[in-house]
Amino acid sequence: MTIELGHFALILAFAIASVSTLGGYLFWRRGERVALFLQQGAVLQFVLVAAAFAALIQAFVVSDFSLALAANNSHSLKPLVFKISGVWGNHEGSMVLWVLILVAFGAMVAAFGKNLPQSLLSLVLATQSLLTAAFSGFTLFTSNPFERVSPAPLEGADLNPVLQDIGLAIHPPLLYTGYVGFSVCFSFAVAALVSGRIDAAWARWVRPWTTLAWLFLTLGIAMGSYWAYYELGWGGWWFWDPVENASFMPWLAGTALLHSAIVMEKRNALKIWTIFLAIITFSLSLLGTFMVRSGILTSVHTFASDPTRGLVILSILAVLIGGAFALFALRAPALRAGGLFAPVSREGALILNNLFLATALGAVLVGTLYPLLLDALAGMTISVGAPFFNLTFSILMAPLLVVLPFGPLLAWKRADIVAVAQRLIAAGALAIFLAALISALGGVSVSMAPIGLLLGFWVAFGALAELIERSRLGRLPLIESARRLAGLPRSAWATALGHFGLGVTVLGIVATTAWESELVTTLNPGEAARLAGYTIAFERFEEVPGPNYSAERGTFRVTGESDATRILSPERRIYAASGMPTTEAAIETYGFSQLYLQLGEPVDGTHVVRAWFKPYVTLIWIGALLMALAGAVSLTDRRLRIGAPARRAAATEPVR
Amino acid sequence: MVFWSIAITITLVACAALYYAAAMRPVNAVGSGEGLDAQFARMLAGIEADVGAGKLAGPQAIAAKAELAREMLRQKSEAGQAPTRAKPLRIGVVAAGVMLIAGLACGLYAILGRPDLPGEPLASRPEIAARNMNLEEAIARIEARLAIAPDDLRGWTVIAPAYMELQRYADAERAFRRIVELAGPDADRETDLAEALMMQAGGDAAGEAMQLLRSAATRDPAHLRSRFYIAGELTRTGDYTAAVEAWQELIGLAEGNEPWLATARQGLAFAEAGGVAPQDDETQQEAIRGMVEGLAARLQSEGGSVEEWTQLVRAYLVLEDRQAAQAAYEDAVAAYPQAFDRGGLDTLALGAGLSLNGDGQ
Repeated sequence: MTIELGHFALILAFAIASVSTLGGYLFWRRGERVALFLQQGAVLQFVLVAAAFAALIQAFVVSDFSLALAANNSHSLKPLVFKISGVWGNHEGSMVLWVLILVAFGAMVAAFGKNLPQSLLSLVLATQSLLTAAFSGFTLFTSNPFERVSPAPLEGADLNPVLQDIGLAIHPPLLYTGYVGFSVCFSFAVAALVSGRIDAAWARWVRPWTTLAWLFLTLGIAMGSYWAYYELGWGGWWFWDPVENASFMPWLAGTALLHSAIVMEKRNALKIWTIFLAIITFSLSLLGTFMVRSGILTSVHTFASDPTRGLVILSILAVLIGGAFALFALRAPALRAGGLFAPVSREGALILNNLFLATALGAVLVGTLYPLLLDALAGMTISVGAPFFNLTFSILMAPLLVVLPFGPLLAWKRADIVAVAQRLIAAGALAIFLAALISALGGVSVSMAPIGLLLGFWVAFGALAELIERSRLGRLPLIESARRLAGLPRSAWATALGHFGLGVTVLGIVATTAWESELVTTLNPGEAARLAGYTIAFERFEEVPGPNYSAERGTFRVTGESDATRILSPERRIYAASGMPTTEAAIETYGFSQLYLQLGEPVDGTHVVRAWFKPYVTLIWIGALLMALAGAVSLTDRRLRIGAPARRAAATEPVR
Repeated sequence: MVFWSIAITITLVACAALYYAAAMRPVNAVGSGEGLDAQFARMLAGIEADVGAGKLAGPQAIAAKAELAREMLRQKSEAGQAPTRAKPLRIGVVAAGVMLIAGLACGLYAILGRPDLPGEPLASRPEIAARNMNLEEAIARIEARLAIAPDDLRGWTVIAPAYMELQRYADAERAFRRIVELAGPDADRETDLAEALMMQAGGDAAGEAMQLLRSAATRDPAHLRSRFYIAGELTRTGDYTAAVEAWQELIGLAEGNEPWLATARQGLAFAEAGGVAPQDDETQQEAIRGMVEGLAARLQSEGGSVEEWTQLVRAYLVLEDRQAAQAAYEDAVAAYPQAFDRGGLDTLALGAGLSLNGDGQ
């Protein structure tokens, strides 16, 4: 009966969301009562969807195959953690997770929003309810996770073996939290457009929500990248796969939004642009979640697609996104633009950031959608691959990385570029020195590598330069500097940490691309191979049973030049229910570098072994973790203040 | 119904919570500019705090405050221009909304839901499973398990007799071999494997099967099953001297009332006669007749197992006494009226052209 109660709970949540949408948009001007109703409604939606989700988990855990979803995606022999994560390893269940996160954000707005003006709160919650109604309705009517089978089969069809990994337990919840978090920014933007007012509270609210969503999206993408790296068995960490692009586009837009929200919060400027970005970001999140499910894009992430479902999804997206942009076109001219500033200023730098990010976003969007459009309109099939993305993306990102360290050092309103450049000389010199040194020592053959290294070091040291500058390190006694450093606002720390993290990621990408070494060979137990100074000895080969698969396991003893030996055990698994094989690579971390070992198919009584040495590859994800940490630090900074304009003697003419 | 009472309770609680939140509390008619003031007060306090902490110099603080004041004036004037708000929402509208929710939820569930279907967690299903599961399904489950863990002795032990039952003798042979490998050879396991090999060869126990049987008999001299097969095989291949010895040894191990004993005695007689059915020997014929009549008398007076009745019918048929066979068959049917109980007997009788239940042919 729990299954049916869960079904009922989801339907009740849909009903509350529908009525909240209707009531919210009709009566938002009519005072506190509406706001109270919507707040209570938001909390109830969360409780009910959580109950529905719990019912699904329960059915998977006890292997109740009278639930079609469990019969199609679970197996009684699966380990508990994969039974639970299997709930969202499919289209229907992942929709429930998506809606659950959506209503969780709605409930958070309701809980923290008590100080918001009532009309604004009502409109925001009505918009959240609209999203909930649309997507829970889509779930219930076209892809109902609570569908039953009678008589129930005795065994389930099992989950795709690639998904039977701890990655599935972590990656989708993080990514969805990121995607859906931007719904709050979207709802605030729509509320501002409907009411025709952007009040101070609006400006103050958007940034923390953006930061929260951005933080989770960063973690989700990084986790997804690491998962693909260790599970797909090819050692690649980014494939420019359409779905990866679909998650990367909201990240680029969200990063732009994060920066423009700073300008709006501190300087009350760029309001309209921020609203525009908020709508774009969430629209891209929706595209990211649903383009895959509509059947127009196919990739590793594709769930079974069905034409009706695709049509419904496209209509929902068209109405929501189209409606928001139409509203923007109608109402944006009526909004007041806000503060003025000179081109060379913190605001100007942030606009530059937005421009570069928006262009990069455009490039990725074109690269992802162009083949589809061409196919649809002209019937030509082309494939836009990694070379296109690598080239355009690095060309667009390089200038951004060059100017990035200047930004945080510039003053608000109007700034002195020469003075800032002087402060960055030390960071620049250090970056050039290290890049040259490493290139000389490493014997670089790839011509772009030194430039990449230079950019990575420049961004990382430039970020630290701001902290050094603000603590007057070297110009004040050490104790005094440390005191100043500790007393810096959290937002300054967050900026430095975030930019430092970006530099670290760039360094990881450059190092692993330029100096990766690869070995493909055939080995028998007892033989050994050498790669990048490591001796890889094949010790033995055995067959090992798992809970719902059988595995062939190779045991390798790896000896580094100055390192103790370590045992690596890559596997090839065959899953019983589906008969599908997977490769489980063995990865061993040496400092920041990794040795990646994969056991291939046996050929003529010998074994194909692939090994990669990936120097500094972990920096890619460490950098992403630092960026996410920066977001968390920024969230703990709760100062509510406007920026203090610096009064200067030489007044330049303010320019819009 | 339990389900609907819980569902309706949930709906009522949710609707009551909504109604209470919106309609039962005293509320301000219209939101005032108070929120705005509080917001600016906080921002002003933030500036003061920065000045206090030495983060803002005096002139900067004054400029910041001036900017804040301008912003506040502008927003206040905008708020003044905003159209005056409508009257607060009436309670009736809230009530209507709440009822709409309840109606929508129950109506939709009635369309989409399956309140009649109970949950069926796997753990609570074994008895249902046993009733519904046919042998093929059970075997498929065990096979899936064995594909992953080929070392699971219990699985092989369960699946091997099932293969025999389904006459998949090659699979049975594979399973029994695996059992011998995993658990080591003993008399029973070797005989099982030999049995599977013999069934594959259509009853021929030559070669490996015979070796296995002999090994089993050596391993356990009192092992009846292997000795039975050995004697049978010796008889079949015409090695009558050895066969007589084998049958005699086997009969010597019997306690006297085993169902196979009659067959063993027949085998012995057959072997002793040098491979000729001993009917030409009058005394032998008489002896058999005496034995058969003894069995018939015992079954008539005391009753017996279906196997014994079958044996009797078969004996009459061998003696070509069809009338007696028909009579014995009818007595057996009277003793075991359920057709289910006498599967082998019916097959034998109908195959020999006897009529069932005297209903004529």
